[in-house]
Amino acid sequence: MSILFFASLIVYFAAAMVQFSGVSMKKAGLTRAARLLFMVGFALHSGYSIWRGIVAGRVPLANQFEFASGFAWAIVVLGFGLYRKGKAEWTMTAAMPASFLVLSYAAFQPMAIKDLMPALRSTWFVLHIGSAAFSYAAFAISAGLGVGYLLMLRKGKDDSDSRLKQLDYLGYRMVCLGFLLLTVVIFSGAIWAEQAWSSWWSWDPKETWALITWIFYAIYLHQRMRRKWQGKRMAWLSIVAFILVIFTFAGVNLLLPGLHSYATQG
Amino acid sequence: MRRSLRFFRSMRFGMILLVLVMALSVVGSLIPQKEQAMTYVRAYGAEKATLLMALGWNDLFHTWYFLALEGLLCINLLLCSILRFPRTVHAGEQLMKTAEDSSTETPCDSAQLQRMKEFLISHGFRKRNAATGEVYTRHFLGFYGSFLTHLSILWVLLFGSLVLMTPQTEDLTVMPGESLVLSDGTRILCESFHIEDGQGKLDYASTLHAISADGKQEKIQEIRVNEPMRFGNYKVYQQTYGTAGRVRIVNHATETEDTLFLTESCFLSIDGQNGVYFEALYPGFVQDDDGNYTLVTNTSGSYPDPVYRIQTIAEGMSTSVLAFPEETLSLGEIDFTFLLPAEYPGLRIKHVSSVLYGALYFGFGLMIAALYLCFFMVPAAVSVREDGYSVVSPKEVQEIREALTIAGKEEEP
Repeated sequence: MSILFFASLIVYFAAAMVQFSGVSMKKAGLTRAARLLFMVGFALHSGYSIWRGIVAGRVPLANQFEFASGFAWAIVVLGFGLYRKGKAEWTMTAAMPASFLVLSYAAFQPMAIKDLMPALRSTWFVLHIGSAAFSYAAFAISAGLGVGYLLMLRKGKDDSDSRLKQLDYLGYRMVCLGFLLLTVVIFSGAIWAEQAWSSWWSWDPKETWALITWIFYAIYLHQRMRRKWQGKRMAWLSIVAFILVIFTFAGVNLLLPGLHSYATQG
Repeated sequence: MRRSLRFFRSMRFGMILLVLVMALSVVGSLIPQKEQAMTYVRAYGAEKATLLMALGWNDLFHTWYFLALEGLLCINLLLCSILRFPRTVHAGEQLMKTAEDSSTETPCDSAQLQRMKEFLISHGFRKRNAATGEVYTRHFLGFYGSFLTHLSILWVLLFGSLVLMTPQTEDLTVMPGESLVLSDGTRILCESFHIEDGQGKLDYASTLHAISADGKQEKIQEIRVNEPMRFGNYKVYQQTYGTAGRVRIVNHATETEDTLFLTESCFLSIDGQNGVYFEALYPGFVQDDDGNYTLVTNTSGSYPDPVYRIQTIAEGMSTSVLAFPEETLSLGEIDFTFLLPAEYPGLRIKHVSSVLYGALYFGFGLMIAALYLCFFMVPAAVSVREDGYSVVSPKEVQEIREALTIAGKEEEP
């Protein structure tokens, strides 16, 4: 069944390529085709995740591979959701390569299905890790929209261009969603940690970096909501913030051993 | 005084504090915390390690300056919450006033206006009559979002710190069938412990029987990771586990029998001179063709072929021997029968305050609700007059308008 996983990876890549061509050549037919491909990829990816969940007998979010796969899946869900609301082509242009890249990262992780280790057998498992996947996905799309914003600005678009404003606004809204979900991640993790390890906060590297990311996005939101920062500065902030997210997700597991090390061990 | 108060409650000050907390957190996450001094010397060299420890970076999150930053953040949050409160309470009235005072932004005819009104009602707006016409409003609760968010952060910081600072925890081991007696007389009997469940999956579960000091309350529960037992003001966690050797000692002279757990080296003797010196329990062994044994020391935690390494001491003579489970050594009137090893749990016993935990979890819930209000319940008001309408919101008129447009539902009359 791994073929479903690799097929979805290839289809996501194809969708991203077709989307880039459609956007750069301004051909609506191509972007429509890209969306269709993306949907096919999503169906394959969902099929694989469901199969894996059935075989494992749990929600497939227990190790680095499964989380990365869930993260990519959440990017697709949010990408489609956002596109349905705003019809902004850049939503898809951001979501397609983002989901492909995250799924590519997953492809390099050990894929073996293992029993859930005792520390992960908790009612908080789905809420904590599921909201992390969606939170990271929202931040990924926000960063993608930030990149889009900067590219369009480089192409000579004016700050007052309505499409740029829309990108800016959607990026901000994604940060709002991601921030709310990251708060859920931190709090559900704290309650879970108290049940498992007796302390709701241990300054474990993963916890600390989640807090660092949270603080950075809190600064982003203050600059946006109170200081009215918009446009280029916010685009850069969302990209830098997403680098922190990536470090929290992958870097911490690789470089800073701690209580969350089982994520890499599977 | 007023100036410094203004600074302490300012967003700029709050941002400075957040950046500092963030920067120190990065440092604290990169440097291993609470390690032995030698660990730092080995990792960074003597000079850097000395500097690092002088700065307290070996336990950065408990340094006075990190705690001071947290304290200042609390002051900043408290002051800005106090400042924000009256504005929050009156924000709705203020918005209504702004709506009433606003001039028509988008002129339109009566049919278009009717469509606009229907659109607003279908999108959850409530009609309010004003002196100048009608004002359609929604999500006024959202005005409390920012205030409640800051208040809840303060709440979580305060109660979180209290919860972290106040618990009294104790790590204890208990052998199956034996009891622990806590300082207030509460008794915790470990009825059983197993590492694997019936299907061979790792489980690490202890069955505990807790009895209050007066004997009036008792509770039996199987605890495991993620499933601690709550009993009175105690919470008992399944923390670690270990494997202990067991020996049954029969004294034929007195016709007494006892079974002991062996967790560390010890001398088992009646007269203090003759007996068995237990050295260690090994998980396995390999026997070569000549019958020689090599003891296996693995760290997997399992004991597939346990073997005891002991010394028998009799008449001043010491002899090293290996003892296998169910093997009996007789020394005079005493029989030592080595049994299969037993697994035992390491328990963490924490004295908890329900009030503090309740307050902390309330803070978590409040903050999530407040953030939802803040981000997804943006207060909006649309002033509708006979000649057209205008979109009004507290500060971000453009943003609300864009939100409505992005919703894809707004029909420009």
